[in-house]
Amino acid sequence: MNDVKPAALEAERLSVLRGGRPVLSELSFSVAPGEVYGLLGGNGVGKSTTLLTFLGFLKPASGQARVQGRPVSEDVAGARRAMAYLPESAALYEHLSAYENLAYFLELAALERDRAAMEAALDRVALRPDAREQALGGYSKGMRQKVAIALALLRDAPLLLLDEPTSGLDPTAIDEFHDLVRALADGGKAVLMVTHDVYGACQVADRIGLLKGGALVGEFAAGPAGSISTEQVHHAFTAGGDA
Amino acid sequence: MSLLRELRREGRLLARDRALGVWVLLTLVLAGAAVLSGLQEVAAQRASLSHMAELDRIDREDAQRKHPDWGSTAYYSFHLTYDAPSNFAFAALGLRDQEPWKHRIRMLALEGQIHERDAGNPVLALTGRFDFAFFAAFVLPLVLIGVLHDLQAQERRAGRHALLMATATGPGRPWRTRALLRGGAVLGAALLPLLGGGVVEGTGLPVLLTASAFVLLYGLFWGVLAYALAARNTASAVILAMLLGLWATFSVVVPASLKAGIDAAVPLPEGADILLTQREAVNDAWDLPKAVTMDAFLARHPEWAPYGEVTTPFAWKWFFAFQQVGDQTAEPLSLAYRAGREARDELAATLVWLAPPARLERALEALASTDLRAHFAYKDRVRAFHGQLRAFYYPLLFKDEPYDPEVLAALPAF
Amino acid sequence: MSVVRQIARDEARYWRRSQLAVAASVLFLLLAVVTLVVTALRISHETTLRAHHQAEAEAAFLAQPDRHPHRMIHYGHFVFRTPPPLARFDPGIDAVTGSALFLEGHRQNSASFAEAGASAYLGGLSWLTPALVYQLFAPLLLIILGHGALAREREGRTLQALASLGITPGQLVLGKGLALGAALGLALIPLVLTVALGVGAGEALAPALGMIGAYALYLGLWAGVALLFSSVLAERGAVLVALTALWLALTLLLPSLAVNNTERLVPIEGKTEGDLALLSELRKLGDGHNAADPAFAKLKQDLLDQYNVDSVEALPVNFRGIVASKAEADLTETMNRFAEARMRQEAAQNSLLARHGWLSPLLALAEASRALAGTDLANHHRFLREAEALRFDFVQRLNGVHAEGLSYLDDVRRSSDPEAEARTRVSGENWQVLQAFRFEPQAPAARLEAAGESLLILLVWCLGLMLALKRFAGRLAP
Repeated sequence: MNDVKPAALEAERLSVLRGGRPVLSELSFSVAPGEVYGLLGGNGVGKSTTLLTFLGFLKPASGQARVQGRPVSEDVAGARRAMAYLPESAALYEHLSAYENLAYFLELAALERDRAAMEAALDRVALRPDAREQALGGYSKGMRQKVAIALALLRDAPLLLLDEPTSGLDPTAIDEFHDLVRALADGGKAVLMVTHDVYGACQVADRIGLLKGGALVGEFAAGPAGSISTEQVHHAFTAGGDA
Repeated sequence: MSLLRELRREGRLLARDRALGVWVLLTLVLAGAAVLSGLQEVAAQRASLSHMAELDRIDREDAQRKHPDWGSTAYYSFHLTYDAPSNFAFAALGLRDQEPWKHRIRMLALEGQIHERDAGNPVLALTGRFDFAFFAAFVLPLVLIGVLHDLQAQERRAGRHALLMATATGPGRPWRTRALLRGGAVLGAALLPLLGGGVVEGTGLPVLLTASAFVLLYGLFWGVLAYALAARNTASAVILAMLLGLWATFSVVVPASLKAGIDAAVPLPEGADILLTQREAVNDAWDLPKAVTMDAFLARHPEWAPYGEVTTPFAWKWFFAFQQVGDQTAEPLSLAYRAGREARDELAATLVWLAPPARLERALEALASTDLRAHFAYKDRVRAFHGQLRAFYYPLLFKDEPYDPEVLAALPAF
Repeated sequence: MSVVRQIARDEARYWRRSQLAVAASVLFLLLAVVTLVVTALRISHETTLRAHHQAEAEAAFLAQPDRHPHRMIHYGHFVFRTPPPLARFDPGIDAVTGSALFLEGHRQNSASFAEAGASAYLGGLSWLTPALVYQLFAPLLLIILGHGALAREREGRTLQALASLGITPGQLVLGKGLALGAALGLALIPLVLTVALGVGAGEALAPALGMIGAYALYLGLWAGVALLFSSVLAERGAVLVALTALWLALTLLLPSLAVNNTERLVPIEGKTEGDLALLSELRKLGDGHNAADPAFAKLKQDLLDQYNVDSVEALPVNFRGIVASKAEADLTETMNRFAEARMRQEAAQNSLLARHGWLSPLLALAEASRALAGTDLANHHRFLREAEALRFDFVQRLNGVHAEGLSYLDDVRRSSDPEAEARTRVSGENWQVLQAFRFEPQAPAARLEAAGESLLILLVWCLGLMLALKRFAGRLAP
């Protein structure tokens, strides 16, 4: 019991209001370092709200959101420094190249990374070398996202927050992405992935939390077979009514 | 992170922003046009003054030649008085467009002369000219609003807002730096022509620095306002509309309300009453017993008492005495009018803080000596000069000195 | 047509639910109404005051006792310019030009005591009149209402949906236009009410309708611009910025730049400079106070011949009076020449400024509005001319009395002989020569003509925009 590491991300009876309406009601879950946690849910159930709360953009009405053991509201800047965020749109500056975008955001984060490190990160995400000097305006969604992930890599933050990372990607790109996430988790990072892609989540996550009506209605872990049962999760996802 | 590094980083990003480049260029062009037009106007006014001074001298000398006696000379000689534009007037022409800055006066009752308006085309005065003060007070805020209103909304629209906020260390970044750079670029572009104009005119450095400080403070006011509203999580169109509403309120509605309020709170005697009173007094004198007029005059000038008797139906000394008595009779009204205008202006000076654009205009006009105080100072100089004229002629008239053109050499000049 | 009406109704509903649109509309109407009430009260007060002063001045003149007629010429008279009924809406240059004019012999004075001079100085945009509210802020209202008209359909991807229902771009633009037109009509209500009040106060119908028409054209023009930008640019935010920039350029920048340009192209000198030039001209004429001036030698000879006498003392008329009359006539002729030249130059400046209306419709509207209200430069010049006619009339009649009402010998001796002086005082009945002065508003036909060119400019702008809309709306693609 004594050497249980503190959870990287923890939500404890988290309730968040948006526009006066309750979106999260007593949500509780945790993500450990080295774990990929998939937060699954339909549209409008509060997945983005959860991420935004951890990032310190929203304040909980009650309950706590903790990053590395400390409540986010106590030290928002510190919490953000510990997290690398991949927004759904993966939007960066259209008129800058991949290198320039990385340089800008890294400087913004007060990090020093040389060209070699950027190359390595872009290699890891498998971005075509000939595209790296071109303005991002000409990239496909997949390519843009690769740059965004490269940024997250270069941030070298212990926590990774992903918002619908595979929406709009083709199957090859999705597979590449999942392999990368797995590798990152194996390297010790805590990954919170918010998605509605049941199949993909089951492939890559260690645990899956099903979000319905603002709270978890079920948590699924990998069985002895190695990965989570897709059928089980799908069934729970599509079951009607609140749990 | 050091400010310098931040500025460099954001500067590199902003340098690629074409829209900002357009705004900055526009500011430079408009400020330049304003300063240029001000310089031209001031040069024209100065040229006109020297031309008029010459014509005035010719006319006076001609009058003096044609009327070889003190009374007629005093009656027919006009003297040019003027308020030359200062070396900062190019930036803020202020009241020079609506209050006269030149008068040709003679020794007759001053109240009938000093209130004449020598204004130019009233339609042009109504529409208003484009000088630097107008540009800085009304146009500059709109440019600042243009470059700052979508500071954050732009990023939200592009979907980068959350990433930027999550990545940047420290509060307010990168917004503060960006706002600083954008606002700073615009303000710099606005001030450059002003400084250029100051160099051309030879304006003193303290004046230029003070004016620049005023403009920067004013820019800061609008910048902070725009920055605060730009942080709202609404569409940029809504933010822009709100800022435009604030601009309209500060620029037009508040000044107009203050004006109406002050005018109502501080009543002035009717200008027409001053003219009517003075005229009645001057003309009554023709019928009153001479002694009555002379007594009223001698009360102010006891030194002429020994010579104060008038026996003939007409005497120049009596004529000019009742001109002065006319002024004296209208004096209470005239003083009340002046005091009322000053009171209005003082009230305006106190309340104008509620309308920053008007505050800036007044500040620049004060520096340029084109505000109401400068105008009153000019009017006072005119009155003093009129007094000097009278002090010159009275001995000659009362002591009945023989006419001697040589003495005219000592005639006071404005 | 029902499709068009439905689209218009939908746009109106969108506005009703948009905080921005409601706020902007309410604020504008509030501003318009408050400004109207304040200005109407002020102008009414001014009218009464000036009429009162005029009556006072006339009474003072007529009540003068017996005296030498030349004294009355120097006593002079005051005239006051009363504002026309529609000045309630557009006071024009009333506040900037002096309202009191002193008429006396031998001089043409300029008007004194403009209200603008006495009022507290609060900057260049503080003269808020109802006309300015409509000229400056009504376009902003239409911009706020209209900027999203088509852009929001494009942004919200409803354009495709509408197109798939068979709605043509033309119908869409017409529908949005109809909604804006209705908003425009509502915005004009305060104006219409004020104009109606003016008509009630005695204004003719034609200029009143012209006024409404001019402002309707101007607002229609801005509605058209808003629609045009909204259909061409893709994003709402960009439309609003572009429209605001255009508004800034057309209502704030161009008018004042036009003033600079006008002054540069048609410079005129101030009255003082003009006076000096006038004086050098007048030096050539004789001094009317000095009958012995050689300039009148011929006049003297002609009179002697006419009455067949040898000396001026023997003339049946007062030579000094004749001289004064002739001198005044010559003087007035020269002064009028200069005054007319100056008025021509000012009028030239005014038309040049109005012609800038092709670039900035605000200038065209401002000119049309002032011309129709009767508060423009031409009317001020008319005031000056009528006042001058009055001046010349009473001065010359008094000179006539001077020539025939008293003897030359008495006149010559009056400075030294009190009895002669007493005889030179004519009866106070003679002061009745003074005509009453009432400054009537200009004839409606003349006003419409004066506003003609500016109205044409507004009409052409409107038509141009309609054509542009037709062309660009056709390209309205999702």
